[in-house]
Amino acid sequence: MIFVFLWGAPSHLDTCDPKPDAPAEFRGPFGVIPTRTPGVSFTELIPRIAVRSDRFSLVRTHVTTAPGHPDAGTVALTGFPELPTPVQPNFGSIVAKARGNRGVLPSFFSIARGVVMDGGRRIEGYGGGTLSQAHDPFLVGCTESGDVDFPALKLLDGLNPLRIEDRHRLLVQLDAAARRAEQEGVKSWNRNAQSAYDLLLDPAARQAFDLTRETDEVRGRYGYTTFGQSSLLARRLVEAGVAYVQLNYSRHVEALNPGFEFGWDTHIYNFELLQDQLCPILDRAFSALLDDLYERGLIDDTLVVMMGEFGRTPKITPRAARDHWPPCYFSIWAGGGVQPGRVIGSSDKRGEHPLGEPVSPLMVGTTIAHLAGLDTQARAEMNVLAGGKLIDALL
Amino acid sequence: MHCSSSSSTVILCALFAVGAASHAAEPEQLTRDGRLKFTPVFRNGGRELVFVELVNPTLYQLRRLVLADGTNEPLHANSSTSEFEPAWSTDGECYAFLKTRGALSVSVVVRDKQGGELGEILPGAGFCGYRSPALAPDHSRVAFSYAEQGTQQIISAGLDGGDRKPLTDSRGINSWPSYSSDGRSIVFGSSRDGNFEIYRMNADGADVRRLTDHPFQDIRPRYSPDGRQIAFTSHRDGNAEIYMMNADGSILRRVTESAERDDYAEWHPDGERLVIVSERHGKTDLYIIGVPPR
Repeated sequence: MIFVFLWGAPSHLDTCDPKPDAPAEFRGPFGVIPTRTPGVSFTELIPRIAVRSDRFSLVRTHVTTAPGHPDAGTVALTGFPELPTPVQPNFGSIVAKARGNRGVLPSFFSIARGVVMDGGRRIEGYGGGTLSQAHDPFLVGCTESGDVDFPALKLLDGLNPLRIEDRHRLLVQLDAAARRAEQEGVKSWNRNAQSAYDLLLDPAARQAFDLTRETDEVRGRYGYTTFGQSSLLARRLVEAGVAYVQLNYSRHVEALNPGFEFGWDTHIYNFELLQDQLCPILDRAFSALLDDLYERGLIDDTLVVMMGEFGRTPKITPRAARDHWPPCYFSIWAGGGVQPGRVIGSSDKRGEHPLGEPVSPLMVGTTIAHLAGLDTQARAEMNVLAGGKLIDALL
Repeated sequence: MHCSSSSSTVILCALFAVGAASHAAEPEQLTRDGRLKFTPVFRNGGRELVFVELVNPTLYQLRRLVLADGTNEPLHANSSTSEFEPAWSTDGECYAFLKTRGALSVSVVVRDKQGGELGEILPGAGFCGYRSPALAPDHSRVAFSYAEQGTQQIISAGLDGGDRKPLTDSRGINSWPSYSSDGRSIVFGSSRDGNFEIYRMNADGADVRRLTDHPFQDIRPRYSPDGRQIAFTSHRDGNAEIYMMNADGSILRRVTESAERDDYAEWHPDGERLVIVSERHGKTDLYIIGVPPR
């Protein structure tokens, strides 16, 4: 399972649910192009994804309850709000606990340079929640050149784990890091750090993180961007048996903040940011991921879901951009038992509200768990996703 | 002259034939690191380029590339916040760029050629900022794009941000202003008629004329040094490619043809070449390409 999280929330009108016939103050400036799904158009910003629409299904009727990123992020990743605490588990924690570890690799990875954040605040739904921290994701970062780093090992200054050829030297460095952590008041090595050490010492695990084992042609298809190479890493991880990968477009929601990664939260210059950077990177990487999964015969066993935490205002704002819009947004589903080429529901003429049954984040999580083999009884026994319904039209 | 003033009237520019066979020679690659790059501009008579690079996941950096020896270094060594969209005055005396100051807060900074600050135009409160600065050839004024009341207009101001004069007053997004070398006209992109097209106006905002008409976006126009041609980015063939046309919108020519993205054209001072940002095999680098004959 690969959950592609477009953190910050892309505009549905400017990507997968354009409204070319809406009034000018709604429709935005982009042209529309046909897809391979009859009656469905995307904007010109994502042409590669558009020509692959026969490989996925599109849900256009998502609704969430939370208007701000922290809570909406938690709802998107768990199906439930931040409160009451402890928060419900991330969909990945549920799937990973049910599937268990297969081999040395942890069963739940989150690809980013740390826990996903809004400003200085982490998203509470990032991890195991009520299932405990033992089911938190293993965090792994990936640069635009494909160098992988483990935030859990940040005390190992200058260590590139994939270039450590000498096991003895690695152990010396790990011991030194442990002593430094103790001196700096870190009370205990967490599970992530211990897992990271185990991974560094396991040749097979290290191979999974080594993107240089891919050909230049394959790496280039994804694009030499952080999200592009991270998408390739996600494919390598599921290929190596990892049950659930949360592939984050960025660690932060913010589109233009000093010190933060460039996410999808485009309160100003929505249209320029989409056309300059956000959509070209996404279009290339996501289409390459789909192609790669198909060509390697992985798609039937790999569910791919791509979505943000809400939509963006259909009506263009006073800042000539788009703000948060919880009442309507979209998702893309491919592989893993989902019927491709379907369109689930539609939004109204201005993209403000769904027509037909709304699809909640809880339904997303329930459908993911179902496709991972957790039936109603299994979910009840784990005490997760209570009250969740399936998105039947996808199955 | 085939173009009308800006209005909802039907425009005939789409009838111009594309010189499909007039592609220039293969581009010459200037950088090879493959990182994301944006908005290159020439300076020092074409001997150097300044461009924007995403040097890490959180930072746009202005970089200086010396063409003779390949020196590639930060333009501002001590900057720790994102700086982007550089623009130079034709006389080379000063330059402008954008700088992030806080959460979705972007200012215009103007400096002289030695790096001394001439002004910083601060954004308003909250999520607010400027885009696409352009300096008048004599660096007397700076034009930029600014959003308010649901539209985005091009505004001209003194280098300290005073004496603001709106140059556009339309619905939609107006952006990417580029002065002609004589300073008398500005070419820009606008979505006023539905989608992004190329327009020109006098430097005071008068006499707006539409130059392109296509259902896919035409953006980022740049006047040639002699003011007789315009290079721009168009998605009319399915992805971003560089095109040229005469300054009146006639004689459209395609400059690049690639399955990947070609964007951000900027003229060399000799008027015979363009620097572009081009994606090749997933890597994004700067290239120089000759312009096709008229």
